[in-house]
Amino acid sequence: MRHVLPDGDDVHEQLAEYRRIAVFGGVYNNTLALHALLEDARRRDVEAVFCLGDMGGFGPHPDRVFPLLREGGILAIQGNYDASLAQGKTDCGCGYTDPRDNHFARISYEYTFAHTSREHKAWLGSLPGHRRVRLGPHRVLMCHGSPRVINEFLWESATPDGLLRRFLRDAAADVLLCTHTGIKWHRPLATGQHAVNVGVIGRPENDGSTNVWYTIATATPDVSVEFVPLHYDFETLARQMDQEGLPAEFSETVRTGWWTTCLENLPSRERSRGKF
Amino acid sequence: MSVALTMAPGLGAAPVAPFLRFSTLWIQITGTWCNLECTHCINSSGPREPWLKPLRTELALSAIREAEELGVKEIYFTGGEPFLHGDILALLGAALEAAPTTVLTNGTCIDAIMADELAALFVSARYSLSIRVSLDDTDPVRNDRVRGEGAFAKAVEAIRLLHDRGLLPIVTATEITSAEHTDGRSTYERFRDFLLAQGIEKPRVKIMPVFALGRLARPDDPVLHEDDLVGFDRGTLQCAESRVVADGGVYACPILAGLPRARLSDGALEASFVGATLYHPSCVTCFQTGMTCTNS
Repeated sequence: MRHVLPDGDDVHEQLAEYRRIAVFGGVYNNTLALHALLEDARRRDVEAVFCLGDMGGFGPHPDRVFPLLREGGILAIQGNYDASLAQGKTDCGCGYTDPRDNHFARISYEYTFAHTSREHKAWLGSLPGHRRVRLGPHRVLMCHGSPRVINEFLWESATPDGLLRRFLRDAAADVLLCTHTGIKWHRPLATGQHAVNVGVIGRPENDGSTNVWYTIATATPDVSVEFVPLHYDFETLARQMDQEGLPAEFSETVRTGWWTTCLENLPSRERSRGKF
Repeated sequence: MSVALTMAPGLGAAPVAPFLRFSTLWIQITGTWCNLECTHCINSSGPREPWLKPLRTELALSAIREAEELGVKEIYFTGGEPFLHGDILALLGAALEAAPTTVLTNGTCIDAIMADELAALFVSARYSLSIRVSLDDTDPVRNDRVRGEGAFAKAVEAIRLLHDRGLLPIVTATEITSAEHTDGRSTYERFRDFLLAQGIEKPRVKIMPVFALGRLARPDDPVLHEDDLVGFDRGTLQCAESRVVADGGVYACPILAGLPRARLSDGALEASFVGATLYHPSCVTCFQTGMTCTNS
């Protein structure tokens, strides 16, 4: 667990201002979805594309992700996976506590660690822990898990309004953007503030659909949040995963849209919606 | 982890864990009042006059309101047996207005009517509701030797009732009878297989260590010394981000609720946001196992 302060020295204090941005998390080595995202976002008139971390894990061929991130001019922050790879840790730091979850997390991390070049690990180590930007008049804080802990899970059914208000107050922000859980949500607060989990593009979100999701946020002048479904060649991805010897449970998720592993951290409500 | 644990309880200055953030509110709602009398109970709960009294409903509601203001992330009800409390459903409703909520129960008080009530809360509540049902073995005889005659059948029935209504109960088990099994499976695997065999399609299992307190306390149990913690991140201990409201005040962690040296405030939650003294033998278990009483 790495503790990161919302006003720590890794926060960019020179705030760039945008009208419309694309934001995504959790690439999980899914180069095909990343490619689809870059094409899709370009068509949607966004001024910048942000990635909230976790480039690796789950999927095949980690090193194929980094050229796309660079060529796409994507502004990234560090996820727990990225921090672990950069620091040479033996664990992904995802925050799982269940033995079965940890079994699959270990396979995933060992594969990604072995197939990520030293140069790319160093690049991951250079990423900031947070980013701040302005979206019109709104102060936006981007983080991976939560503003306070890089691997904290902020699920929709398990993240109280009171906690979100505290995060935003402590960070002097109007909008919080996070990822890490793998399932998107948006909550406008009674205070006029917004909290958004932008979802991930690395694996489908446990609803039986094979597409993945990213987020477009626009100053309208209030904050407008649109979740965009991304369709990509999931069968090719699944085949590559099988060829790389990754667990059949992983490619089954890609082919069916149902999570088969790393389920135990799901709150009861989110777990009840899935197949497993 | 090899640790030299040489100090006796109560001697010298105990190490302190910092308070980092307020994530978890525990409500010791029934104190040590329980309809069972398990041999390994961490706070010696039972059906006779409880040494820790149930918490008054208004104090529990006040703690929930204060916790919400302070940005709590999750709320847990424990005891004793929480479903013995007459206001438990109203309290769960109030808690679920503030944060995701979990109840730790032995399951024996959950009949079809209560399961229906909980299912209604699960569906209508703003945040997630979880029910954790305790068992100690997948074998009825071994389980009931620890938890009392008939406890297994009632708990398994509660699991089925909750499952049938979509609540996905979490089975909490200890390793207290693990050594009696020779099939090579871990306790986790054994419970998972057991639940699948019962038709529970989404088995959820949490394994807890056995603690050296309550009915298993021994006078010479070791405690932590400052030297034991060199290089250890005390922020990973659950007392760094949880507080427990029980009769008599606010305590450092659910394991130590009601014990005078673990008391950090006489009522206000925020006043308890100070370092917790790691004075008790059970602190050794948290340190060595990295366990937390929360769901994950």
